[in-house]
This record gives sequence, C-alpha cells and structure tokens, in this order.
Amino acid sequence: MDKIKIGIPRGIHYYYFGNFWKYFFEKCNIELIYSPKTTQELVDRGSAIAPDEMCLSMKIYLGHLSYLEGKCDYVLIPRIDRFDKNNQTCTNFLAIYDLAHHYFQTPILNYNIDTHHDLLDGLLELRDLLGISKMELIKAYEYAKEKERQIKEQQEKEQYQKMSEDGKKVLVVSHAYNIHDDFIGGPLEKLLEDNHIIPLYSDYFQEEQTNALARCLSKDLYWKYSRDAIGAIPLCEKVDGIIFLSTFPCGLDSLVYEFVMRSMEKPYLYLVMDDLSSKTGLETRIESFVDLLEQS
Amino acid sequence: MSKVSYPQMGSYGVPIYFLLSHILEDDIVEPPNITDATLELGSKYSPDFVCTPFKYTLGTMIESLEQGADVLIQMGGGCRYGYYHELQEKILKDLGYSFVLINLVNGGNKISISQLMKAYPLTIQKRHCLKYLYLTKKMVFYMDKIDDYIRQNRCYEQTKGSFNRLKKEMLQEMKEVHSARKLRHIYHTYMSKMKKVPRKPMTKRIRVGLIGELYTLMEPKANEDIEQLLNDYGFEVKRYTNVTYLLFEKRKKVKRYLKHFFIKYRLGADALDNIHHTEELCKKGYDGIIHMKSSFCTPEIAAMPMIEELTQKYDVPVLFFSMDTTTSQTGFLTRIEAFCDMLEMRKS
Amino acid sequence: MKDCYLGIDIGSISTKAVVIDRQYHIISSCYIETKGNPIAAVQEAIQQIHMDGYRLRGIGTTGSARKLVGLLLNANVIKNEITAHAIGTLTFHPDVRTILEIGGQDSKVICIRNGLISDYAMNTLCAAGTGAFLSSQAKRLDVDVKAFGNVALTSKNPTNIAARCTVFAESDLVHKAQIGYPKEDIIAGLCKSVVLNYLNNVCKGKKLEPPIIFQGGVSKNKGVHRYFEEILKQPVFVDEHGHLMGALGVAILASREKEQKEYTLDLANLSFKTLGQECQDCSNRCELLRIYRNEELLDTLGSKCGKY
Repeated sequence: MDKIKIGIPRGIHYYYFGNFWKYFFEKCNIELIYSPKTTQELVDRGSAIAPDEMCLSMKIYLGHLSYLEGKCDYVLIPRIDRFDKNNQTCTNFLAIYDLAHHYFQTPILNYNIDTHHDLLDGLLELRDLLGISKMELIKAYEYAKEKERQIKEQQEKEQYQKMSEDGKKVLVVSHAYNIHDDFIGGPLEKLLEDNHIIPLYSDYFQEEQTNALARCLSKDLYWKYSRDAIGAIPLCEKVDGIIFLSTFPCGLDSLVYEFVMRSMEKPYLYLVMDDLSSKTGLETRIESFVDLLEQS
Repeated sequence: MSKVSYPQMGSYGVPIYFLLSHILEDDIVEPPNITDATLELGSKYSPDFVCTPFKYTLGTMIESLEQGADVLIQMGGGCRYGYYHELQEKILKDLGYSFVLINLVNGGNKISISQLMKAYPLTIQKRHCLKYLYLTKKMVFYMDKIDDYIRQNRCYEQTKGSFNRLKKEMLQEMKEVHSARKLRHIYHTYMSKMKKVPRKPMTKRIRVGLIGELYTLMEPKANEDIEQLLNDYGFEVKRYTNVTYLLFEKRKKVKRYLKHFFIKYRLGADALDNIHHTEELCKKGYDGIIHMKSSFCTPEIAAMPMIEELTQKYDVPVLFFSMDTTTSQTGFLTRIEAFCDMLEMRKS
Repeated sequence: MKDCYLGIDIGSISTKAVVIDRQYHIISSCYIETKGNPIAAVQEAIQQIHMDGYRLRGIGTTGSARKLVGLLLNANVIKNEITAHAIGTLTFHPDVRTILEIGGQDSKVICIRNGLISDYAMNTLCAAGTGAFLSSQAKRLDVDVKAFGNVALTSKNPTNIAARCTVFAESDLVHKAQIGYPKEDIIAGLCKSVVLNYLNNVCKGKKLEPPIIFQGGVSKNKGVHRYFEEILKQPVFVDEHGHLMGALGVAILASREKEQKEYTLDLANLSFKTLGQECQDCSNRCELLRIYRNEELLDTLGSKCGKY
C-alpha cells in the first residue's frame, strides 16, 4: 500500500493538537501536509464559502480546508463534542465534520471525542486506515503525549519568566486558534511588541490549572476552551492589563467576556476582529490602550 | 413571601403559570407581553452580538422586576442559551435589582425540576407536585396539538379570527382544570369546535414548512407573527418545533435521525432536527420552506448550507430570515410577500 | 379613447412613474428623487407624466412606500418590488435567467426558470454596497455620483476597500485617502467592493445562470457594471429602462387585473397628512400611522391586533 498523505488545516484544532499530531504521525511514519499560515487570500476563500454570519475563525478554517482540497489523501478533522459535562465546546466544533463534508470532496480522517470517547479511543478507531497495529498506535500516542507535555512545560516556563521581567505586561485572553492565528492574533502581537508591551497568552498556561481557576470567576460556565482562557486571569494577578481577543461574531465570547469584563478591576480592552478590519483601527485602539497602561 | 416570574414565550405562559401557581405558595408575577419597549430595554443592556432571545428574556426580566418580582426563572440549553442566566443575573444585579435567579437547565443540557426544588424547599406534598407536573405536561401537549391544527386550517376560515378566538377561550378554560379527564375533555370539545368552523372553498392548496431556531419560531413577537401572515395569504403552515417536541420527543427522534442520514453527528441545538425536517418537508411535497433564526444563532448558521443543499436537490424554494431586534418590518413583509407570490406563480 | 395604466415605484431614494398602454408600450415616464417625502414625490411625478388621449384604467404601486401611496391613489394593485421587477423585466426580456438589482437601500437577486421566479434573495446585513452608500461616499470624496462610474473606469489598480459594513468601509476609505491613494483607484475599489460584497452576501448559494441583467439605480454606474462582467466572466446586460422595471411591472399587473375602473388624477388639489402615534389600548403598543386626505381619515396602518 502506498503511504498516505494527511493534510492538516492550520486552524481551530491545529492550535490545540498540532504538536501532538506532529509527533504522533511522525512516529506512525505518515507524511503530513500543512496549509500555509493564514493570509488575506485564505480568509477571502473562506468567506466566499461560508454563510455570512459564521464566525471569522470558522471562515478561516474553511479557507484552510479549501487550500488543502486535492493536495492530500485525507484531511484530519476531529469532532469534539465535550470532554465532560462541565467542559463542552462551541456548537461549531460539533458541526465541523459535517460542514467540511458538505463543502469539500477530500476524504476526511475523523475521530470523535465525547463523554464516552477520549483522544486515544478516537485514534484507535483509525488504526486500520493508518495501517498500524494497536501496539504501535499506543506507543506513538504515548510518545506524542510526552512530547506535547514537554512543549507545554517549556511554554509555561517562558510565561513565568516573562511575568518576572520588567516592563508593562498584558495578558491576551482568547481561544488558542485566535491568539496564534497570523490573521487574527498576529497583527496584535506585533503591535504590542512595537509598543514595548510584553504579551502573555492565556493558552500557554497548564490547562488543568486555568480550567479549575475559571470557577473563581464564573460558577456555571461549561465551555472548555472559554474556561481555559478566562482561568488565566486569576493566575496572572501581576499583569498590568488584559486584552480580550474575539472574532466576529463568536457566540461564546459575546456572553463570557461580557460577564468577566463586568467584574474586571484592571484596565482591559475588548478587541473583535472582523474579516476586513482595517489595520489603522487596530493601531489606534492598541495605542490608546497602551497610553492607559502607562498612566497607571 | 416572594414573587416569582419567568420569561415569556408564545402562549406557554399559561401552562407555566398553571404549574407554578399550584406547586408554589408564593405570588406569581405574570410577565407582561413582549412589546417594542421590552426589546428596547433588553437591547440596551445586552452585549453586542449576543443572539436575540437574550435580549427578549432580559427585557422581560426587567419588566417583571419592575412589577415587584424577586425570584426569576430562566431555562434553556443546547447552545449558548444555557449560559444566559449567569450573565443576565450579573447585568441585572449591576443595574441594582435584588432578586434570586433560578436556572432550570443543568450544565446547558438537562432540565431538572429538582434544581427548582433545591432553591425552593417545597412545603407542598410531593404527590401533589407530581400531579400538577403531569397536568402541565398534558396541557402543553394538547396546546401544541391545537396549535398544529390551527396552523394548517386557519387559512381557510370564513370569518377572520374564528380560530384565534377559540384558542383563547380554550386556554382560559384550561387555566381552571384540576384533573386530566377535564383537560382531555376541554381539548376534545375545542378540537371538534374547530373542525366545525365554516371554511372557504379550497382553490389551490399551498403548504409552507417553518423551521429554525426555537425561540424565534415560538414567540410571535420575534417572528413578526409569520404564521398568521402566511395563513392570511391562504397558505397552510407546518412547524415541527414546539415544546412537546423539544422536551419529550427530540431525544428519541435524534437517535433515529442519525441512523440513516447523510449527517454523521449531532450538530448542536436543533440544527440536525431542522436538516432532517427539511428533507421530510421536501419529500412530503411542501411548496416552500422558511427558515428563521435569531441573528448570530451559531448552530443554525452551521445548518444553513445543508438545508440549502437539500432544497436545491428537491427543488423546493427556501427563504432564510435572520431576525434581530432592529429588523425592519417593511423589509420583512416585502420578502414574505415576494416569497408568497413566487409560490403561487410556481403552483399555477 | 384607448386605455392606459399607471405604475409607480416609490423607493427610498427615487420615485419612478410610468404610463403604458395595453400593448405595454411606454407612453410616458419620469424619474425623480424621493427626498424622504413619498407623497410630495408622487404628486410631482404625476404632474410630470402625461396621458393625453388615453383613459386611465388602472394604477399599481410598488417600492417601500407602496402601501401608503397605494392607499392615497386608491390603486388596484399593490405589489412588492421583487415580483414587480421580475414581471417588468420578463415582459421585455423573456429569456432572462438572472436579475441583479441594486437599489437605494436594498439589493436583491432574482433567479428565473421557465419564465417564473424560482428563487430570490435580498441583502440581510446593513446598507453597505447599496445606492445610498455609494452616494454618501461620493459626497465624501467630492465626486458627483453620476460621474462616479466614469471615474472608476479610468483606474487601472482598484484599491481594496472593506465594504462589508458601512462603518468599516467609511473608516477604511478615509484611511486610504489619507495615506495618498489616487482618487480614481479608491473609487474603482469602492465599485469593485460593492460587486464583491453583493456576490458574497446576497448571491451566496445561488446559481447565476446567463443571460444576466443588471438593474436598479446603481446599474447606471459603469464602474459597478464593469466589475460585474469582470468578476462573473460573462456579459451582463443593462437596459436603458432598467430603473423603470419595477414601475413597469406593477403597471402591467394593473393592466392584467380583472376589476378595472376609471381613474382621475387630481392629486394636486388634494392635501394629504400623516400622523404617527403610539396606540395605548393594549400592551402591544403598536406604532400607528394615520393617513388623512383633506382632513378625512383614510386608513390607519401598523396595527397588529386588527383593531383598525
């Protein structure tokens, strides 16, 4: 059998599982193809496909899928329903498989995570397709998990290092797929650096820790990635300000950030990125926020 | 003694009032009807791109609080509706109201009356409570059946308003029941009364299916009373979504839907149901489908491409509406009128 | 004396009136600005058209003020603009499959199969990319809106303008002008973004089959027309009577009406008054609009309970 090529769209899940996938498939000896970093062109491709009111992050994801169309044997699209009752996901995560299936022809490599199936269960179902034995798969899984843990630890260490540095520090609170996307969080990161602000990222902390800490802010919140994000706020007491980064029109953020902002004592900025936001608008808002931080 | 209130949706206020008045000893504040003023209030204090049911229910809550309520009930789940309550509580407290908010939906999914009981130690016997719970369930069931019948027949009534008048009378009588037998009797009486309503001759039969997000479908103020509009045009209307479906039938049906369908997974809220209903409507030969949702309703946005694909396959016209509190009525009417014209022209 | 029929299309920006005979030949037509006062616009329109030697046997109204004006003129047909446009266009171009229409506040696409409307869509978001938006931007750039299209044609490198939302578009446009892009490129960019926005927003999921016809006030803009052809990669027709199609369609519908009566138009001598008020009778609190002709109450619009 010819070796299969698996396409990884650089959006949504990539920012949570990217490192894991990289090492897992490397160990399985399977070649991966990544879609490029998000550009205006990919955003436009996504917006042309998606319904108007869909959130920018999903539009971008569809843009990445459209890039991969025909370039690989399978695209990897997991579906995540929930990890447990208190850690559910946005409904877009639920629909993502069927949406991709509707729009694109490339076969989908899909596993499903819900209350009864975790990541390993999901991957085990794919073992025939990947052409490896159960033992090999479990080995690769453990290897990749370990690698993922090391990377995460490194990221966390760097975060704490940054926190003790001199200078104004800002915590960027958002979903990982927004913070590290070159179209959404990219311009923000650059602007912060230009203004000599040290950015900390909510998703670089240990999610077990932030997830539990989210309870300090909201007792009923049941979306995993929102909890992981806002849980970083109590963890970073020392930062000077907080930036809530959202994409238009994210359903979860519209409620969660509003809720958190209402009890914020630090200076904060609520940024909503649109698929066509002008860069000047962002510049003005960041600069005035920096001025605010300098005063305090 | 506290005063309890709840959000408004369609005529479901009647069974909710019925239930609460029998299992609680407290006063109940009937929420006022939703008006433009309610929406203005709700929108004013709501975040930017939250879906519209948030604004409707927040507006109603403020009005109830103004009327002296100090216990509010909120229920909803399946999507971000499940998280409304915590933010609404915060917004209202920030406005300076003091009250208790009870959310009947656990973790955004399961409705539990026990949640209410926990917050509300009952002095009334459990048996008594169960009886009225059962009666309420039955009442909702009969109401939904009657509504279903009205939607499909109101378009033929000779004197405008006959069906609406009968329904109003029925609800009035249902408020006073204490036994399942009496309830069933009322239902059958009014059903046969409705069957005897004088009708216009049917010249051509045009049937429209109504699908979409639940709140927008069930609250006439949120959908510009589209059912009445379509009936006035002489069209029959079919709507699957009602409280009976959502609470008692959905769970079982969804499992069945997933078995033999081109959709692999649950899509969140009622998205899967709506796609399935689209196919059902197409296969049953309905002349058109109208999909309504509140702006930014995420699960329905994800369902729209699939609904469109199906309707193209079966060649059934479909009209999408995204209702916001600022939706212009003129624009809405123009679209509806054009849709109705189109269906009529296709039929002739 | 031969019969004639009057069709009036009262849009948010412009009011169009047309008089046709039984064979649908145009006897007279006019095009004036509504200027926020539909009643005055209709009075003016009626003075401008002529129908000497004909008997007026039917009146149809369409457009956003169709109900109000229909009531005043006692019209025998009041139709929404989508149907009216389709009927008008199909009478003159029976083979057309797709009608693109961009008007003052609305934009729509109508798909036609076997001479019937098979599908249509209207803009759902804000007014970005409609006529009103273009004229306000023209004013901002200090260019006559009528010359807008010709200026756009001179550009070789249209600037990218974010036109999805009016607010974003304005700030983007101002920004692009401030950092020194040539005016014609900005104007061309604006025209192009109107097209892209329209295709992405209104036409999403619709199959645009040829022949395609482009109508509405914005169809007079050659820049927009050019980018439609460029992006769709096929010819897009613009009819010189394109702006009249709504009025024509509703005049045709009036001529098809079975019940016909004789009309006289002495609007000039009548005075109309409208009065808005909030009904306090029930919790619906409907916003009522009462319409008076010579102090006599004609009708009350806007009631939801059917009391009026």
